[in-house]
Amino acid sequence: MNFKRLFAGGVVAAATFTLSAGSALAAGHSCATDDLPSSMAKPGGFPARALSMIVPYGPAGGSGQVAQAMAQAVSDLTGVSINRDHKPGGSGTVGMTAYMAAPADGYSVLEHIDDASSAHALDSSRPNPATGLIPLVISQITFSQIYIRTNETRFNDWESFVEWVNAQNGRATIANVSKEGSMERVMMKFITDATGMQIQQISFDKGAPRYGALAGGQVDALFEQPGDVRNFLDAGKFKPILTMLKERPSAFADVPSLADAALNFDPLFRFRGFYVHKDAPADRVEWLQWAFQKAYCEESYQKYNESKYMTLIESFRDTAGARELITKTIQQYRDVYKAMGLEVK
Amino acid sequence: METFNNFLQGSITLFSDPINVLIFLGGVIGGMLFGAIPGVSMLTLAAILLPFTAHLTAEQGIMLFSVIYCTGVYGGAITAILFNIPGAPENAPTAFDGYPMTQNGQAGKAVGAAVICSAIGGVVSTIIMMIATAPIADWAISAFGPPEIFALVFFGLAVAASVGAKTFWKGWLSILIGLMVAVVGLDPVGGIARYDFEMPYLLAGIHFIPTILGFFAVSEIFVQAEKKVRGRYEAPELSVDFPSLAELVAHKVAVVRSIVIGFFCGILPGIGATLAAFMGYNEAVRWSKKPEEFGKGKLEGVISSETANNAATGAAMIPLLALGLPGGALTAMMVGVFQMHDMQPGPLVFLTSADLVWVVFAAMFYANASILLIGFLETKTIINLLRIPFQFLAPMILLLATVGAYAVRGLTIDVVVMFLAGVVGFFLRRSGYSVAGIVLGVILGKIGEQTFAQAMQMLHFEWSGFLDRRIALGLLIAGFLTLGGSIYGAFFKKKPSAADTSTS
Repeated sequence: MNFKRLFAGGVVAAATFTLSAGSALAAGHSCATDDLPSSMAKPGGFPARALSMIVPYGPAGGSGQVAQAMAQAVSDLTGVSINRDHKPGGSGTVGMTAYMAAPADGYSVLEHIDDASSAHALDSSRPNPATGLIPLVISQITFSQIYIRTNETRFNDWESFVEWVNAQNGRATIANVSKEGSMERVMMKFITDATGMQIQQISFDKGAPRYGALAGGQVDALFEQPGDVRNFLDAGKFKPILTMLKERPSAFADVPSLADAALNFDPLFRFRGFYVHKDAPADRVEWLQWAFQKAYCEESYQKYNESKYMTLIESFRDTAGARELITKTIQQYRDVYKAMGLEVK
Repeated sequence: METFNNFLQGSITLFSDPINVLIFLGGVIGGMLFGAIPGVSMLTLAAILLPFTAHLTAEQGIMLFSVIYCTGVYGGAITAILFNIPGAPENAPTAFDGYPMTQNGQAGKAVGAAVICSAIGGVVSTIIMMIATAPIADWAISAFGPPEIFALVFFGLAVAASVGAKTFWKGWLSILIGLMVAVVGLDPVGGIARYDFEMPYLLAGIHFIPTILGFFAVSEIFVQAEKKVRGRYEAPELSVDFPSLAELVAHKVAVVRSIVIGFFCGILPGIGATLAAFMGYNEAVRWSKKPEEFGKGKLEGVISSETANNAATGAAMIPLLALGLPGGALTAMMVGVFQMHDMQPGPLVFLTSADLVWVVFAAMFYANASILLIGFLETKTIINLLRIPFQFLAPMILLLATVGAYAVRGLTIDVVVMFLAGVVGFFLRRSGYSVAGIVLGVILGKIGEQTFAQAMQMLHFEWSGFLDRRIALGLLIAGFLTLGGSIYGAFFKKKPSAADTSTS
């Protein structure tokens, strides 16, 4: 088996964001890593014991859930157990620090999100996920949307929303995670610069109070990713009025995209993936790459991704694709941080 | 009548399948055990079990988690009362008076009160949940935004200074120490680092579980060890007497008040049982004719805290089921269970999965009721742990607390924080400060800071915005009146004799 050649051939790499035709599982389409071998010999008996996965967030959030789903898929595929070790706090800093201190023997892997990239963009002493680590797979990539209540009477689409916000002289509100340098804050800067809107961002670091703020009328709009509010969408409580993609995904065919709204910027994406120490033995890294990338196409994982609206755009990146995505994202963040006047170290 | 029929149907579904019964019993016992061990909470058990729920039906998975939630909240009361080690933050106020009761030879009465009141609080909130889930959920999220929650926290803090300190000023200094500890780390809204000294671990702030363990369990070991060395140590007397019916009836107002408070805190997304327990306790102090007796072994303190935290469990299911909004970490994991079975909690659940909802309601009702039976047996047995001589018991408690502090995040720094808190707590207690006040400051401070910052953003940084929000305004006025009353009392009323605050 020449696994390296398979990767070198770019079998699964995707350099650009492409709309997916829907779930590979549901539609019966091929999955990104179908061409990988269905099994791979353990190099030197590795792994001889359970792997450990450090998750820098709590078990209940998006990271906790994707870590659980991927760990299950890898275990189903390989028979190797994965113990999840949650180290929440400091926007992922605690988990990353703990991981960097763990032995680089391949037995320890890391789950992390795009926050690791934005943290490095702001402060280069923080690990660069593309070069300081080896991305095994990025298994979730999603876009953001602006939501309003379905029973909202003051506005009902993006155009009327912008008009209404402009009439409020800065008193309109939107719930998001508006911490310094966050993806949400950067995207909101793109939007407000492009539209001239003045809107007060209310920062909620936990999902439930954020969604409750819109449902209860505490704020006028919500910035979120579709998978996280799917139950509100399915129940008809929220509706999207802007999709932050350049083209409309099929699931939101009636919602204007950035191009429709004449917003000319490259959107940032929320992505979650799995990493290993860059100093881990190469043969072990290769096995881990195979296991995590192949597990992406396990039925249980695909089902999970589909439930989280993670199949609307191509969610998969192999190591090369992940590095490209992370590097591009870091550069995007750096550019906008400088434009925002933030101190980039 | 329809509600009752649905409840009966849920009960029949629950108990007609032996697998369901096994899962129910496993959840009841597992929740109690994991709830009782500090650091290894019901969340740990839930996280372990989460992958396995894929092999259960949706009804079984959600039922298991809801049962663990009910009994886990109660479980931590036992160690809080017997050893001053709250199994979880929501049991911390239980220790304020529960542990002094143990030292006064009333351990049985304290545990008994916790058992009965946990069951009452849980059962009543479950019944309310069955009757009026949807309208309550809609009202709660409409009426209570960050300004109201901040005002609620302020209202709570205004009375907290009177818990356990020798003087009013030492009480407030204790609260302020807690508030200072709460601001270490990234600020909850802007993400700005404070007091991190460039240590990555401090960016996450001082975790409240090691703080609680240090201020309560470790400092208590030091206090008792000092007594032992000086020859003043007296082992607590053992008693397995439950509180009498007359005593419980005498506290009926406290029970009702705590049910209302606990239920109310439980339905607010992201708030949950911890604030419920603290607010329940604080209001007991506020309305008492003898507030100075709290922190020294007052039965009403245990009753108020334990009723409120279990009343929050049923209430927390309301926003989860009606709106899909989890109130805390465990209910958020329940969302994961729903999703594993291709379901989403929310308004549609009542239409598409009514059977599941009523099995869960029935299971929560019986889980809360079973606290009475299992708790009674527990009271008669577990209290005998107090027979263990101090020189053997103290290392066991320290070991348990150390494991608990480390288990929170697997970080050694949490163990260091715990021992530091223990040493600081030991000296502060000798000087008449209140470790209860510090812990109140830490927990309420984190919620209060976040909601204050959100409120100011929402009100466009204009203080006058609070005047337009009646509930927030009412709570702030009540808080200021309480504060004014305390200051008046500190200056103009005859000072009570300095009491022993060693257990506060």
